[in-house]
Amino acid sequence: MKMRYSALILLAFLWLTGCNKEKRYVYEVQPQELYQNAAQKQYLKTTDQFISIAYTHLFNASITNNELNKINVALLAVGDKATIQDMIVKNMIKDVQTISNNDMRADLPAFVDQTYLRFFNRKPNEFEAWKLKDLVEKNADITPKMVYYSMMTSNEYRYY
Amino acid sequence: MKRKQFIKNAALTAAGSMVVPYILPSGRLFAATGSRRANHVVFCLFAGGVRNLESVYKAEGNLMRNTLSGTESISPDIAPGITQLPLIASSPLQTQGTLYKEFRYANGPTGHYNGHTTAITGRYSDESIQLKQPPKYPTIFEYYRKHTSPTTSALNAWWISNQLGPYPYLNYSMYDGYGPAYGANMIQPTSIFNGSSISVLGDPLAISQAERNKCDMMRDFMNGQFKVPQQAASSGIVNTPQDAERLQVFLQNQIAQLSNIGDPWGNGAMTGDMINVYFGIEVLKEFKPELMVINMTDIDIAHFDYTKYANAIGVADYALYKLWQAINTIPGMAGDTVLIAVPEHGRNQISNSVIDTYGRYALDHTSDEMSRKIFCLMAGKGVKTGQVLTVDGQGNGIGQSVDVVPTIANILGIDNEIPFGMMEGRVLNEAFS
Repeated sequence: MKMRYSALILLAFLWLTGCNKEKRYVYEVQPQELYQNAAQKQYLKTTDQFISIAYTHLFNASITNNELNKINVALLAVGDKATIQDMIVKNMIKDVQTISNNDMRADLPAFVDQTYLRFFNRKPNEFEAWKLKDLVEKNADITPKMVYYSMMTSNEYRYY
Repeated sequence: MKRKQFIKNAALTAAGSMVVPYILPSGRLFAATGSRRANHVVFCLFAGGVRNLESVYKAEGNLMRNTLSGTESISPDIAPGITQLPLIASSPLQTQGTLYKEFRYANGPTGHYNGHTTAITGRYSDESIQLKQPPKYPTIFEYYRKHTSPTTSALNAWWISNQLGPYPYLNYSMYDGYGPAYGANMIQPTSIFNGSSISVLGDPLAISQAERNKCDMMRDFMNGQFKVPQQAASSGIVNTPQDAERLQVFLQNQIAQLSNIGDPWGNGAMTGDMINVYFGIEVLKEFKPELMVINMTDIDIAHFDYTKYANAIGVADYALYKLWQAINTIPGMAGDTVLIAVPEHGRNQISNSVIDTYGRYALDHTSDEMSRKIFCLMAGKGVKTGQVLTVDGQGNGIGQSVDVVPTIANILGIDNEIPFGMMEGRVLNEAFS
């Protein structure tokens, strides 16, 4: 009896202290797995993925098949993908509604946090949060759209 | 310091001072020493599959009046189906250069992608070719960019493709030590310059230079925080920031002008081949690249309609001469360019069962002897004029598809830099004076 009791305690101990699967948070508003850091992004987005994800990030809606097809064809037709993605993003971003420059600056840490979550699907690390906040603070002419554009044309945005 | 040691050090220093200036950024010890025959090459894949019977042997009359000498009239039964495009050549290209009438696509399946891959890599391919992957062996773009010293900008090498599908993959290979870092810029004009692109690319966010600098600053910071994964699929050719900006301005300008283009050559409708060549010329005008490969594919209508095939040969001939005219008017390229035109393969001797409105049967290409017979035309700086080559002393056709890449390498002075055994063919020396 004593031995069975000890074995149960041991099992419980092992269960509680054993290896855990790496945590990937799932938020409920729109089911979306968050990355814990940029290094988890190992794969290049396909052209379809890039376009539809970019559209959803900007407009919080799904792109229509017709629009997706038109943009996809343009993307396939140019060898320098970064350049054509830049052009596509600039066209999409033009019509997006953003918070005002003043609202962004009223709570910059929150803006930086939310923008990283929105476009990179992860929270910024401490250095990233401080640095981007610092860059925006020191440059009064940086607008929310410019921050979005910079993120969406960065290397990290091309990977998942 | 002992005298012996002093002499040794002095000798080493002297040797080092002689060698170090020749260590190039590419890591090679010496600069390319090959002299160039010309500073620009435009290679036109007169593609889609063309039989020598209808091209250089004029079985239906001279369908290529801007390229080939002769006034043979078009076969009367198909003549109503042939568009009468104006004769724009003061003298046919043939008389301005060297024509190989018995060129061969000697090995491998006579498929369009196989033929394109062979023409661009200088190696025959087989059935294992992958349609959704870059070629196995280096392309001429990579040879050119890797072995030219000093290293050249990607805007100096262009692949202008008439179609999407597998063709955009031809701007670089998967070969170790080559690849996208040495690849060419690629555009597929009919997919990027059309009504749809006006709606998805024609109205970008306006960003001033000052704003761009701020965005670059933020992006540089973000890029510094992200290590591009080594094992991820290649994201393709990369231009320097300055070149990327130039490319973007070019693309944006072309899109902005689309609604005003109308009929640029003044012949009514522009066919796919004409559009491809038109925008190829725009690239030549803007970037004056040292190497451009451009193709035409409308001729492939031959699978379904023989008369339209014959007509497409005439259209391609017209477009080819437009290309030649443009080359000869672009400052920096005029007089310093070699144009090479070669079909990727031929078509079968025996027709298929599809009959057109003129009672002619259509043609496939399934690797029979006729589908291996093609032509090659070279014109421009250093090329012998008025020369026609057919067979050698043994009755074998002179020249092969795989000879084009070494010939381009030779023209651009890099053939001796390319590791031995990489290319299957030879330099077409007999074409040069």
